[in-house]
Amino acid sequence: MSGTAIAQAEPPGFFAGLAPDGKRVLFTLATIAICFLFAFPVLWLVLTSLRPGSGVYYVHRGTEFTIDNFHEVLSQTIVLKALFNSFMISTVATVFSLGVTATSGYMLSRFTGAVPNAWFSTIYIFRCVPYVSWVLPLYFVTQRLGIFDTYWGLLLPHVAVHICFFSWIMKGFFDGIDPSMEYAAMIDGCSRWGAFWRVAMPAAIPGLTALAILCWLYTWNEFLFALILTSHETPILTVVMAQFVHELGMEWHLMSATAVLALGPALIVTLFGQKYVLRGLKV
Amino acid sequence: MADVILTDVRKSYGHVVAVENFNLAVKDHEFVVLVGPSGCGKSTTLRMIAGLEELSGGTIAIGGRVVNHLQPKDRDVAMVFQNYALYPHMSVRDNLAFGLRNRRVPDADIDAAIKRAARILSIEPLLDRRPRQLSGGQQQRVALGRCIVRNPKVFLFDEPLSNLDAQLRAQMRLELKELRQRVPTTSIFVTHDQVEAMTLGDRIVVMKDGLVLQVGTPLELYRKPANRFVAGFIGSPAMNFIDVRVTAEADHFVLTGAGIRFVLASTLFARLGPRVGHTVCIGVRPQHLRLGAPTGADQVGFKGPLMVSEQLGDEQNLAVRVGEQDLRIAGIDPDLNLAAGSEIEVSAAADSLHFFDAVAGEQL
Repeated sequence: MSGTAIAQAEPPGFFAGLAPDGKRVLFTLATIAICFLFAFPVLWLVLTSLRPGSGVYYVHRGTEFTIDNFHEVLSQTIVLKALFNSFMISTVATVFSLGVTATSGYMLSRFTGAVPNAWFSTIYIFRCVPYVSWVLPLYFVTQRLGIFDTYWGLLLPHVAVHICFFSWIMKGFFDGIDPSMEYAAMIDGCSRWGAFWRVAMPAAIPGLTALAILCWLYTWNEFLFALILTSHETPILTVVMAQFVHELGMEWHLMSATAVLALGPALIVTLFGQKYVLRGLKV
Repeated sequence: MADVILTDVRKSYGHVVAVENFNLAVKDHEFVVLVGPSGCGKSTTLRMIAGLEELSGGTIAIGGRVVNHLQPKDRDVAMVFQNYALYPHMSVRDNLAFGLRNRRVPDADIDAAIKRAARILSIEPLLDRRPRQLSGGQQQRVALGRCIVRNPKVFLFDEPLSNLDAQLRAQMRLELKELRQRVPTTSIFVTHDQVEAMTLGDRIVVMKDGLVLQVGTPLELYRKPANRFVAGFIGSPAMNFIDVRVTAEADHFVLTGAGIRFVLASTLFARLGPRVGHTVCIGVRPQHLRLGAPTGADQVGFKGPLMVSEQLGDEQNLAVRVGEQDLRIAGIDPDLNLAAGSEIEVSAAADSLHFFDAVAGEQL
């Protein structure tokens, strides 16, 4: 008899035991399930916004749809004003924040010494403070400075938060850019500032774009600062939306219509910017 | 065009001294190579010349003018970096023009300078491309072009070939030599590769631990190394070193070590006299060893089993175990079949031996 060894048959793995293409089907189903999980609340929101006030509790049964909710919210001055304010605050805060975080991140990335270390420690400490604990002091500060319920009263806290959170991300972007380019620029006739502005900044554009999008979305969606630091003079969309819950009940249909309106710009920014965000965060 | 004079240059970071007591005079149009292992201070020295690092002491003069307190842009130097440092958001043409535009050179002159540099470096077809669309060798040429267009007083090279593969590196070495003939400019070149140093430099500065160990022409360094480090660093394969004890007999010195014993005439090697009774280090280059027993009193011999042979095609290198160490022998006939373990006898002319202090490493 030949002494040929027979390999012990291994039990087939889970995927090997499936029918041909079973693995692909399983992954497709899992992907659909995950997408549905995230898309369902949005779908429900859109459906609710299209239902009359009487039908919001029977969204899954009713067949009556209307765009009156949108007419109604858009006829309210406060909603229009809030849309404008939210857009302005988000855009201006993004511009301010990028200006500061770009220089702040660059300093953290390229320089050492007492000033960068002190700055690093400061933003680290502020990052560690729970976000919610800033709100009450900020309320008093803005009251005292006379900027409560104004653009400045909301812009400055937003920019401060962005600096603390996004300077680190910006530092990471600049860490990924070879400093030799700036040295080459300095030898080629640029000052240190010129090398930053003309060489490092253009090279950081993917990162800056990603950060701009994140900044804008963050401010657009922000609720807590807007709730505490603004009132009737400077209505903000997220707060106005919440005000459809009042002592007489909850106007889900109007709240949903406002939310769908708020979704629009955010969706456009996300769709436009996702490739930049992905590219930028990979830098 | 200008000379570069470094006087007592020193650089320290806190308590860590990166460069100490650096003195060097680079003549106009001279090509000087700073070579040494990683961390020896060669790149720091170059960056100090460029103005990218502040000096902790000493002076640097370019063209007779002390530049210690001048910004990099005001020193009239151009630098090629290890990773080329091309501006990724600009075309090759704009990369070349960047330095000239900063100096407000008229457009017509910029165009002429770019055309000249592109012709010299054969990069005319690449002018409208972005750096990411270029190969490593092409990027290297553009980086050189950025220096040429400026027509600076001094070219500085910071390991510009180390990111290239071996074949391209050899090609770029030749191109750099050709470029020197066409654009003769004072140049300082930093590398850790002794082959680059030997092939490119008019003079070589060997550095270690922030200190200059020797300055000389490639042949001076090869033939008369000042110390054991330079002897081992310059030349490939590296020089063999053997520790031996010196004793004196009648009219000769006897040198003995593990598995080694040979004699040297005391009249020819009088410098060994003060070392009698002490250990010295013998250095012998692999190229100076040949197969076979010594044929006369002016030769010394070593014997031991063959450990390995390295076939290079045009020659083979051998490693023979002598005492407790391997002796490298280069330039052996590639067709010679030598079995590993077989007893090999090799010899070298006594006057090709180098002697070093066994502790300090200085040449005797």
